[in-house]
Amino acid sequence: MSKAMLIDTTRCTACRGCQVACKQWNDLPAEKTRNLGSYQNPYRLSAYTWTIVQMREVEYEGRLFWSFLKRQCMHCLHPACVSACPVGAMHKLPDGPVLYNDARCIGCRYCMTACPFRIPRFEWDKPVGYIRKCHFCFDRLAEGLMPACVKTCPAGALQFGEREEMIALAEQRLKAQPERYIQHVYGKEEGGGTSVLILSAVPFAYLGLPTLADHPVPSEQELAMPFEYLGVPSLGREPVAKLNDDLARYGTPGIAIGVAAILAGLQWYSKRRGTGQHTGDAAPAAKESGS
Amino acid sequence: MTTRRAQWARSLPVSWTEVVVYLLLLALAALGLGVAIVRFMRGLGATTNLSNAYPWGIWITFDVFIVPFSAGAFTLAAVVYILNDERYHVLVPPVVLAGLLGYIMVCAVLLADLGLPHRFYNIIAFLNPESFMFEISWCVMLYTVVLVLEFSPVVLESLGWEGPHRLVRSFTVVFVSAGIILSSLHQSSLGSMWLLLQDKLHALWWTPLLPLLFLLTAIAGGLCMAILVSMLLPRAFGRPVRTHLLANLGRAVAGFLAVYGVLKLLDLLIAGELGLLFTGSTLSFLFWAELLIGVAGPVAILSQSRLRETNRGLLAGASLATLGLALNRANISMFAIWRPRGTVYIPHWMEVAILVGAVAAAVLVLALAARLLPTMLGPTEEEAA
Ligand code: SF4
Ligand code: SF4
Ligand code: SF4
Repeated sequence: MSKAMLIDTTRCTACRGCQVACKQWNDLPAEKTRNLGSYQNPYRLSAYTWTIVQMREVEYEGRLFWSFLKRQCMHCLHPACVSACPVGAMHKLPDGPVLYNDARCIGCRYCMTACPFRIPRFEWDKPVGYIRKCHFCFDRLAEGLMPACVKTCPAGALQFGEREEMIALAEQRLKAQPERYIQHVYGKEEGGGTSVLILSAVPFAYLGLPTLADHPVPSEQELAMPFEYLGVPSLGREPVAKLNDDLARYGTPGIAIGVAAILAGLQWYSKRRGTGQHTGDAAPAAKESGS
Repeated sequence: MTTRRAQWARSLPVSWTEVVVYLLLLALAALGLGVAIVRFMRGLGATTNLSNAYPWGIWITFDVFIVPFSAGAFTLAAVVYILNDERYHVLVPPVVLAGLLGYIMVCAVLLADLGLPHRFYNIIAFLNPESFMFEISWCVMLYTVVLVLEFSPVVLESLGWEGPHRLVRSFTVVFVSAGIILSSLHQSSLGSMWLLLQDKLHALWWTPLLPLLFLLTAIAGGLCMAILVSMLLPRAFGRPVRTHLLANLGRAVAGFLAVYGVLKLLDLLIAGELGLLFTGSTLSFLFWAELLIGVAGPVAILSQSRLRETNRGLLAGASLATLGLALNRANISMFAIWRPRGTVYIPHWMEVAILVGAVAAAVLVLALAARLLPTMLGPTEEEAA
């Protein structure tokens, strides 16, 4: 069955043990980073850092929150990266992980462009680069173990299990301490659902997560995003990958057959009208192949 | 044939300016090739300013512009071989060659863009039919072959190879039809490719109609390419421009653009997003620019017979529409996509050099073909007489 990880940002202490555990388990090198005036370090995900604890100071309902959100691949139920990949290098396992196949990738980076959570990263520093991202510790899952980051979390901010169980656990927490949480399990429905579920004390848009279009969102100024117009990217409940896949599956043959029919019709019509009007050297060609 | 070619050559004395232009183009093309070699040796990080925030840059913008611009080849072929309007036949060779060169440029630039270019054949070995990138790559490859076939009669005729020439001719309608189907597919798929970016692409541009809008603008943009090539190339070689034929194409451009403009605005109206036009943001300004330069302007010019019957009016209309097309594709592939705060992308000079080199090589080949292949620009006036 489909596994999921529950991230309770209100329990996170930003110890960043998960960051370290991920690097250890996956043999990822350390990175040289710059101090950008935040404890968030490294500042962004990279090909060598598959998870970071994002730190934001957020003012919400007159209170100041220091919110810590573990960012990583969301292992979407209908991943855009999988629909995007022309060679099927991105693929989803039945139990949840969205994986990347080194041997197939051609490096087009459409997965990076398509991912609504902006997760896949490219090895820019190499002459021949691959895509890298969190793989949900699929190797550990196969052995019945939980992901390294979950295993290491000392604060109980990360939980791992069946997706239904995680949703039930999350909803239970929302009910038990309603004043502690925004009453919403992020990832239950967003973009058709994800295998990473998030609980938060502040609206999810404040955390930089694309939110459901019908959710109350803070004003753009409050968010101080770079471009006012896209301050709050919004996701539907339907996975956008579904629109893509349906169009590819039915639209493509539809267009091909439709255009072919129109062409045949035009040919038939112009022949009925008589080819007598033709002058010049292409006319015989048209007649020969038409007959 | 020899006498004809000799005549042709005599009618066009090579001037020094012409030679200098050729050498300049050659130099730019050589520079582009050199830079491309550096790029393949050192990788994307060292030779481009692409980043995790900008995984796609100016190369993709170039590709998504050049492909619809090169659609002139398929629209003109449709007019001549499917609608059977013989009058336009004389325009076909240079436009088809320009289209072919456009697609070759795109293939070359795409190859440079791949992170694992030595693996490009995986696109043939492993298929994901749900990926529009997959569909586009296949259609572009196949259509490039079609364009080679469509152009081959001009070369075969010049070489005097009667057998192959007749063989290719007899299949013209077949591969022209294949070309039209392939073009409808990949021109629309270039739009479908952005559907996955629903939450990242600004609402002024994201719509489920993207494939249709891309197809319409490709037809209009392609016709503009046909007009520009049919005007500038003969002019450069002192041959007559067939203004009245091009004026008809210009009218078609106005028609397609008008349909596109109405659809685009209706779509925003129905989505309840017309207000986004008036937010005064940089992007709303870019959208207005795109609409005024690429739709309103050309439609105003090309819908009036008085203006489109003149070379100047045609040139203005087609150039504006082309600029608008470029802006539209740049907006969608670059400006209107969400980026993390504080990230910028200014193309590396090597990225630009490769594009300039590709364009220079294409222009050079087009010019040399016009000069060396006797049937490229149609019969001269004396021959026709
Ligand atoms: S978060 Fe992005 S990379 Fe991860 S599964 Fe979803 S679409 Fe793919
Ligand atoms: S970069 Fe690789 S994994 Fe990503 S879409 Fe392209 S081929 Fe697929
Ligand atoms: S699931 Fe595994 S790969 Fe993903 S962030 Fe956790 S430790 Fe890293």
